[in-house]
Amino acid sequence: MQAITALAVPVVLGIAWELAVRTGIAPGRLMPPPSRLAHTALALASSGELWTHVAATMTRVVIGFAIGSVAGTLFGMLTGASETMRRLLDPSIQALRAIPSIAWVPIFILWFGIFETSKLALIALGVFFPVYLGMLSAIQSVDRKLIEVGRVFGFSRIGIMLRITWPAVLPTWIASLRSGLGLGFMFVVAAELMGASEGVGYLLLDGQQMGRADSILVAMIVFALLGKFSDGVLVAVTRPLLRWQDTVRGRL
Amino acid sequence: MTTLSIDGLSKTYADGTEALRDMHIRAQSGEIVAILGGSGCGKTTLLRLTAGLDQPSAGGIAINGQAIAGTHPAVSAVFQEPRLLPWLTVGRNIAFGGRRIAEPERQRRSADLLERIGLAGYAARWPKDLSGGQQQRVAIARALIGHPEILLLDEPFSALDSFTRASLHELLLLLWQELRPIILIVTHDVDEAVFLADRVVVMRPHPGRVHEAMTIGLPRPRNKLTSEYDIMRRNVLRAIDRSLAADRQREPSTGAMSPWV
Repeated sequence: MQAITALAVPVVLGIAWELAVRTGIAPGRLMPPPSRLAHTALALASSGELWTHVAATMTRVVIGFAIGSVAGTLFGMLTGASETMRRLLDPSIQALRAIPSIAWVPIFILWFGIFETSKLALIALGVFFPVYLGMLSAIQSVDRKLIEVGRVFGFSRIGIMLRITWPAVLPTWIASLRSGLGLGFMFVVAAELMGASEGVGYLLLDGQQMGRADSILVAMIVFALLGKFSDGVLVAVTRPLLRWQDTVRGRL
Repeated sequence: MTTLSIDGLSKTYADGTEALRDMHIRAQSGEIVAILGGSGCGKTTLLRLTAGLDQPSAGGIAINGQAIAGTHPAVSAVFQEPRLLPWLTVGRNIAFGGRRIAEPERQRRSADLLERIGLAGYAARWPKDLSGGQQQRVAIARALIGHPEILLLDEPFSALDSFTRASLHELLLLLWQELRPIILIVTHDVDEAVFLADRVVVMRPHPGRVHEAMTIGLPRPRNKLTSEYDIMRRNVLRAIDRSLAADRQREPSTGAMSPWV
């Protein structure tokens, strides 16, 4: 029922637009009707072109996300666990965060060239900050009272970190991974727009240069589906870790 | 036989607040000592120091004559809140208290304790599924699984309704009779002190220190409806009145605020 309600608006608008174009009320060149989009999508899919682009984009996102989230987690753990490291590193990281991530593009291209490495660096950078911030604030907000339980029952510092701090930060950490993944998609588009020969972002750029609104829109829809799908996978993979939580999660 | 000696224990916090001054308590296996007092008289500070969660400014704590610094395997605690770990099932929360016990024995004790606290079917449940009273039972089981020689209780029943509280008093005494640890219970509830304790230490604030200590010589199991119980109860109430009067005399600006109305 909920799904039907949610779909009502796009379906009605789609049908209306389809009718408007078919009856000649609207030209449909810049805003192609759903049937055109379906046709373009099918053509791209059956020629295999779409899958090449999807594979290229997903590879970039996955690798960039892996690098960015591992680095963000490690730095977050370091600054969260040690007051000295926090004072030493956090101000610099915060300063770097103040630079809009897209502003790194030119220097990354100079450093890493125009091919994959600079793209991965940009995505990893975008993923790094939310994960780092999430991890740091999660560690800092662990309930001191639970830490005391660990102390009373004789756990070492390491034992407390593994048995109390880690499970306590999991929910926030996973939430930060999700927002990191979202940013990963944002930056893969930026990276592919700045020059690529394949990828869903390339499809966008190609559509613009060719004046093909249909392939631009198809690429946008593909991005939406990929983002939603990846987030769903992340939620599904991490769900068993959070079974104990009181709140309903997994809704975006 | 274990002896606990708290000698000249004092605590002044970094901000200059003198929370506890020159505290002396001695207890041995099987004794229940209640620390009674209103807020701000250093009861919780005393317990935190004994648990090794804070360091004293002066004085010390010894178990069997051996001075201890920090947490100690023989000392276990139940806090004001249950403080269960929400990501562990009830059974594993209890097992958490028995870090030093070998796994099969820990499992056995955990299952045994679950049954004793009346939560036999709850091993695989999450803490969030339990009521406040049930959670506090689990916290007691967690504190006892390691067979501590000293059990510290920090107003553990204050957040519970009086029916639940009474049933937990019975449960605590039952478990205590088996293991006979020293129990140090901090409370502001006169009834709780008289019902549970062999000795009651009445504290007074500014700074927190012992005002008066008295022995509750009532036989167990105790009946709250006897006149002996009532006399004991009134004795304790009088001691509290005296402690408040002494505090007022010392500091006339403080209004007469008795929490025992």
